[in-house]
Amino acid sequence: MTDVPVRFVPTDKAPTRAARMVDDFTPALIEVGEHHLCPGCGEPIAMRSVLEVIAELDVVQRSIAVFGIGCYTAFSNNLDLEVCQALHGRAPSVATGIKRAKPNTVVVTVQGDGDMVNEGLQEVLHTAARGESVTCIMLNNGVFGETGGHLTATTVLGQRTKNTLDGRDAEQHGYPILISNLIAQLEGAAYVARGAVNTAGNVSRTKRMITRAFETQLERRGFSFVEILTMCPTGWFIETEEAPAYLDDNLAAVHVGGVLKDW
Amino acid sequence: MERELVLSGIGGQGIQLAAQVVARAAIAEGREVQLFGSYGGMMRGGNTEATIVIGDEPVEAPPTVGSTWSAILMHHDYVEPTLARLRPGSIVLRNSTVYEGEVAVDGIDLHDIPATDLAVDLGNIMTASMVMTGAYARLTGLVALASLDAAVAESLPPYRTKHVELNVTALRAGWEAAC
Amino acid sequence: MEGSEAIAEAMVAAGCRFFAGYPMTPFTEILEQMAKQLPPVGGVCMNAESELEAVGMAWGAAATGTPAATGSTGQGLSLMQESIAELAMARLPLVVLNMARAQGDYWQATRGGGHGDYRTPVLAPMDVPEAVELTQRAFHWAATWRNPVLVFGDYYLAHTSQSVDVQPIDFGPAPDVSWALDGSSGGSGRAKLVSPLGTQKQRDDVGYDLSEHYLACAAATHAMLKGIEPMAEVALCDDADVVVVAYGTPGRYIRAAVKALRERGVKAGYVRPITLLPFPTEAVARAAEGAKVVAVYENNQGQMVDDVRLAVLGRTPVSFIGGLSLDTSGFGIAPDLDVTILGDRIAGALS
Repeated sequence: MTDVPVRFVPTDKAPTRAARMVDDFTPALIEVGEHHLCPGCGEPIAMRSVLEVIAELDVVQRSIAVFGIGCYTAFSNNLDLEVCQALHGRAPSVATGIKRAKPNTVVVTVQGDGDMVNEGLQEVLHTAARGESVTCIMLNNGVFGETGGHLTATTVLGQRTKNTLDGRDAEQHGYPILISNLIAQLEGAAYVARGAVNTAGNVSRTKRMITRAFETQLERRGFSFVEILTMCPTGWFIETEEAPAYLDDNLAAVHVGGVLKDW
Repeated sequence: MERELVLSGIGGQGIQLAAQVVARAAIAEGREVQLFGSYGGMMRGGNTEATIVIGDEPVEAPPTVGSTWSAILMHHDYVEPTLARLRPGSIVLRNSTVYEGEVAVDGIDLHDIPATDLAVDLGNIMTASMVMTGAYARLTGLVALASLDAAVAESLPPYRTKHVELNVTALRAGWEAAC
Repeated sequence: MEGSEAIAEAMVAAGCRFFAGYPMTPFTEILEQMAKQLPPVGGVCMNAESELEAVGMAWGAAATGTPAATGSTGQGLSLMQESIAELAMARLPLVVLNMARAQGDYWQATRGGGHGDYRTPVLAPMDVPEAVELTQRAFHWAATWRNPVLVFGDYYLAHTSQSVDVQPIDFGPAPDVSWALDGSSGGSGRAKLVSPLGTQKQRDDVGYDLSEHYLACAAATHAMLKGIEPMAEVALCDDADVVVVAYGTPGRYIRAAVKALRERGVKAGYVRPITLLPFPTEAVARAAEGAKVVAVYENNQGQMVDDVRLAVLGRTPVSFIGGLSLDTSGFGIAPDLDVTILGDRIAGALS
């Protein structure tokens, strides 16, 4: 038996640094860690990816983020980026005004499926058709998360929501809109992709899509769009750890991932 | 002193153009001018009317007037509101080629000008309002013929500049006809 | 120069460099003119796909500190109200034109068609030269108070041509725009926020507190309403038996009708509110002193008459002599706008 020295932390004076288990992985552009979103939510991962891309492309001091209204709006307060808060559905028009007035800015919108595909469908379609040099990010979880999980225009058939308790039924509630597929048809859209953040592989694929979307804007190729499927265990009424698989089996089966259009 | 001119006719007769030409000519002569044009929803055939007020001081009159110093009547359709504004002494020019019916107002100074006929003689029926405008200048002395000539060029849209000469000829034909 | 062209030129002279609109009579010609006049001075005019998008685009441009405007007629403004209300809460300057159909939009303009506890100053020119001045003033007020400002015109204003020379008016030093976004404060730890939910991000327990923000907005609104001197044209009221109140184009007819009545020996005077908000309450109250009756003309079923009653507070009888007057188009010529007809109504209010 060898002597192992007993390690102990002296308690007679204050520690020189705060105790922590691992290094701080918070991206530089997130100033305030707390976002108050639910455990298991996919939106923080998506936001983080957008912020990492902005930092990596070195456009922090040219960037303006336009936020819609949804759970992710919490991030409008957390970012060390200039933020213009828009009304529900209206972010693409506000982004248009910013970009046209200040063409050297890098303008990104963040909207959810309810914000973009329900309330603001015409805004994003017209902005894409105009080929506006802005990047629109759409976080798609198929529910109005902020109100507690209600039907949106992207909710897939069979998906249970608080106002479709037996699941979305085509006869009664119609069919989901595949927004990326719709936008990809427009001449003004230069880059359109659909990613997801339910697995490590999908997160890194999605980050590449976001990078390409920003490059599209920087090179003034036209409108760029990334739809990101995100988990919403609360709004889906499932256990947190089931959400990534639920996303694959339900949302991604209809809103199929991949690059739909690239210049 | 403010002097009024009301032009009335049907869409396509050139009422708004004639009003612009008179207004621009008066501005070029250093007068204060107010012009209000109105027309029905149709581009052709609906009612069209213009009210011009010309003064030496900034115009005080509202856009439409209750009584007018002078009038140009291009057509009998929709003419009643204009007839209601005539007063004794009003100088009235009637397009006698197409105007059917009387101008039954006492004490007015009525002149018949066959504007549409003269315009057809010039080779373009569209210039009838310019014929009337030329006649109006001579009968009222309100604006000089030379000012009208210059105003035509300013008033025609860029895609119609080739018609300037024809319209100037029409102004002169009206001037001659009004002796 | 036609009213629409003159208003557009006045906007450009006032520094407006962004305009977005959607065609609708009688607003359309202003959009046409801005599309023509802005590009040569480096400005942007957007043919928006709807009024919703027009006001959204103008919002974005305004957020960058670019003097911006949008407009429509009352119907289009109804669509824009959600954004106008929120622009006030986001403390953003914007000029909004309402080339209205008749005067049915007085309440929309002065009460605000939108939600929440906000107000927008309203300027109502009676003719083209006044519109040229008031449009420029609207940009100054919008920038000074960081609030939307309305210019309330009509078909007559848009379609009347008058001799007018548009010159930029100097309203003093340009207001501060350090709040405006251009991206440059990103990464500084103090990145700017333009939002109807707060004017700064929550740092050190400051910001993003809705109660705090709405109270600050209320204080700003209060300061704005106190800071803007109400404007009115008052004439012939000192010995008047009947004082007429009318605004905008009808104000010009009322002026002519009152002068004609004076020539007939009828002691008439008039007050023409130029700011509809703040309403020239004191001017109306003073003018009404000694009058037998206050007659209100509006081309609607009676909206401003409420503000006149609030000004007079029962001290003088208030008689409504207006009423909706339209041609078949519903927005063009008003048959009642006739100096003789109005003169008879004013005289009638006395008996």
